[in-house]
Amino acid sequence: MTDPDEPLVSVRDLKKHYPIKEGILSRQVGAAKAVDGVSFDIYPGETLGLVGESGCGKSTAGSSIIRLEDATGGEVLFNGGGRAGRTRNDDGTHPNDVTRFDERELKAFRRDAQMIFQDPSSSFDPRMTVGNSVAELLQVHGMTDRDRRRRIVQNLLERVGLSADDYDRYPHEFSGGQKQRIALARALVLNPDFIVADEPVSALDVSIKAEILSLINDLQEEFGLSLLFISHDMSVIREVCDRVAVMYLGEIVEIGKTEQIFSDPAHPYTEALLSAIPNPDPRSTHEGIELKGTVPSPSDPPSGCRFHTRCHRVIQSEEFDLDQSAWRSVLNLRDRAIAREIDVESVREFVAAETDTDPESVPPDAVKAEIRAEFDLPEQLSDPEAERVLSDALDRMVDDDVEAATETLMEVFTTPCEETKPELLDHGDGHQSSCLRNEPDVGAEAVATASDD
Amino acid sequence: MATDKSNPNFDQVDWDDIASNSGRELSTNAIGTLISTGVLVAILLYDYFIVPANSATFEAVGWGYDVIPLDYMFAFTLILFGFYAVLPLYQNPRMTRYYWKEFRKNRPAVVSLIWLIAIFLLGVLGPLFISPTESELFRKYQPPIWMTIDQNYVIECVGTLAGGACAGTWQHPLGTTQGGKDILTMIIYGMQISMKVGFISTLIAVVIGTAFGTVSAYAGGMVDEVLMRYVDIQQSIPTLILYLLIIYIFGGGLWLLILLLGIFSWEGMARYVRSKALSVTEEEYMKATKISGASSYRIIRHHVIPNSASSIITDITLLIPAFLLAEAQLSFLGLGDSSVPSWGQLISAGRSDLSFAPWIVLAPGLVLFLTILAFNFLGDALLDALNPEAETESE
Repeated sequence: MTDPDEPLVSVRDLKKHYPIKEGILSRQVGAAKAVDGVSFDIYPGETLGLVGESGCGKSTAGSSIIRLEDATGGEVLFNGGGRAGRTRNDDGTHPNDVTRFDERELKAFRRDAQMIFQDPSSSFDPRMTVGNSVAELLQVHGMTDRDRRRRIVQNLLERVGLSADDYDRYPHEFSGGQKQRIALARALVLNPDFIVADEPVSALDVSIKAEILSLINDLQEEFGLSLLFISHDMSVIREVCDRVAVMYLGEIVEIGKTEQIFSDPAHPYTEALLSAIPNPDPRSTHEGIELKGTVPSPSDPPSGCRFHTRCHRVIQSEEFDLDQSAWRSVLNLRDRAIAREIDVESVREFVAAETDTDPESVPPDAVKAEIRAEFDLPEQLSDPEAERVLSDALDRMVDDDVEAATETLMEVFTTPCEETKPELLDHGDGHQSSCLRNEPDVGAEAVATASDD
Repeated sequence: MATDKSNPNFDQVDWDDIASNSGRELSTNAIGTLISTGVLVAILLYDYFIVPANSATFEAVGWGYDVIPLDYMFAFTLILFGFYAVLPLYQNPRMTRYYWKEFRKNRPAVVSLIWLIAIFLLGVLGPLFISPTESELFRKYQPPIWMTIDQNYVIECVGTLAGGACAGTWQHPLGTTQGGKDILTMIIYGMQISMKVGFISTLIAVVIGTAFGTVSAYAGGMVDEVLMRYVDIQQSIPTLILYLLIIYIFGGGLWLLILLLGIFSWEGMARYVRSKALSVTEEEYMKATKISGASSYRIIRHHVIPNSASSIITDITLLIPAFLLAEAQLSFLGLGDSSVPSWGQLISAGRSDLSFAPWIVLAPGLVLFLTILAFNFLGDALLDALNPEAETESE
């Protein structure tokens, strides 16, 4: 632990899949891959931010690391609490692998790693005084001296900004911010080296949020804690984290120092997240990047780059050179067609209602125009070949030949992003990202194979 | 590092030392229970081995009360009740005051509580000091104080005889039975029987039901499936037929009835507690407790059960009246233990005299009715006090 070069926590290819069961025999028919191969290191005294949309698996990653849930695969090496310097066993397993700890080791691990939860209102037993809730950890780990427990907890409550008298009060008597302070006390009371903070401030008011964040910073400095800070809020991440890992659909798409990520994001998803931070400058012409659609289901993640279904910078196939937003729209149309989610009939009825005519007599051109408007497609694509294919596909669609239209769209409009899985690429100084745009050779290769089809 | 025990700094605790030397810590409640149970066992052993078979247990100190096996079970139940239901109220004065404040809003429930406490104290202490009533055939069918009876029915009128009618006296405030037994004394003795039935059966049902419900909810998966299917199976056993079969084979007895009532009535409680415990286990503080390194036993005992307490307690207030009624019904049908003076026995004994001596049936019947009503009122108020959300939902 004294060696600053050795990480306190090393997560390697961590996976957490939830089985999906069906039928009376509960046969497993698939798995929701909440976390699918995540790797990173956390060094002593460092705060690593884990950021992403809801449902991207960041909380699952946190609870698998701390073994609140059992991981499906991968390893989590924890080198704190006097475990430093151990080497691998002969069979390749590591004695510090949290996922393999037996009951005794796990209990010792609990003293070295704790967690703070998102919702302060439900993270305390309502029928226990907060003092007892905090002191319970001491008791669980064998401190039988009741008075000593009380002294320690009262002292700690004062350190986190409450009073010793609060020991005998019940959770409902505190505000959210106060409860989060008590939650910090609970996480600290066993003197851990590592704390997982799962959205610790997202349920709090802005002013309280700032107080808690500065308290976390102070305590971290004072006790040399390492933190895994899980959040969906980039502005909070910027305040507390030394390094940031951006997660999308169970994978890390970019990781690096906080300044690098914020000044020079290398992944389009990070760009989109950053653009969501409100800008206080009213003269700023900065336009937010709007991510359309929902996060795809983790039980059936998209092929290639998992972000390609929503990426605003999705790569175009070699033969086209369209406006980027038009290209995105074309792909959206294609994806919706593949999913059989375009209902021409209801578009026709919609147009009929708008123009007050009979659905039978709506001209096909009006329906086509409506579909284009629906998908933000321009009236005319800049590339004539693309335009020809698109309007041909729309014609067939209006003729109720969705099958053929979909086939045409699938054949012509392809992107290397859906075929090649990007590798994490190093940009130097620990900044890594996985996007085909950053891999010129692979990108070109993919384009070549795509045009071969 | 020498551990200075007065140092209040959490970061200067030698955990390796503490974790390796940890002994078992007993709460006041556990210590109290152990000591009291020890005393009880000592008395039991003394009664069994030293006291001659046909003399009373406390003969040596000049007290003629003979302790029967059921009394030991009852005493043990009372010890548990005292240390795990009453003492915690004293230990958490602020919570107690809060619940009392909520509870007090419900007037009928407060009256019910007073009634039940009176029944409890009279039932537990009365028989220790009031000697059982003897049969005095000359004094049969004495009316209660405010009633009279045609003198043809009585042999000797204890009160005043006027105009061919015998009036009641304070000697027998509630009158006497056809055997000349004092009804008030019998009702007080019946209170103890009812308390025994209520407390012991309920203890059995609560222990099994809560264990099944909470473990099933906390463990989930296969354990849940097996436990709850077992509950299904047990629920389909016809308890009455089983009871008839058992008294046919072994002969009836109050203890047998109590045991059977307890063992075959917890299924509903298990389900009820499970559903509450399921929602409790989803709370975030469950995760926080798991992360603390606490054992499953500790989590269930200190977090799941206390937070499911509202369900457990309200279910108890439904179980007890059901037990009292079951005992009375079986006694009335002549299937109970005829050697104990329960309310049901008294009612059953008086039914043939209903036309001219209705008090024999009415007095114990009324007490039984009021007691059951009181439990129902109490249950309602407890549900509201312990679980304020339930009240707002129902409105």
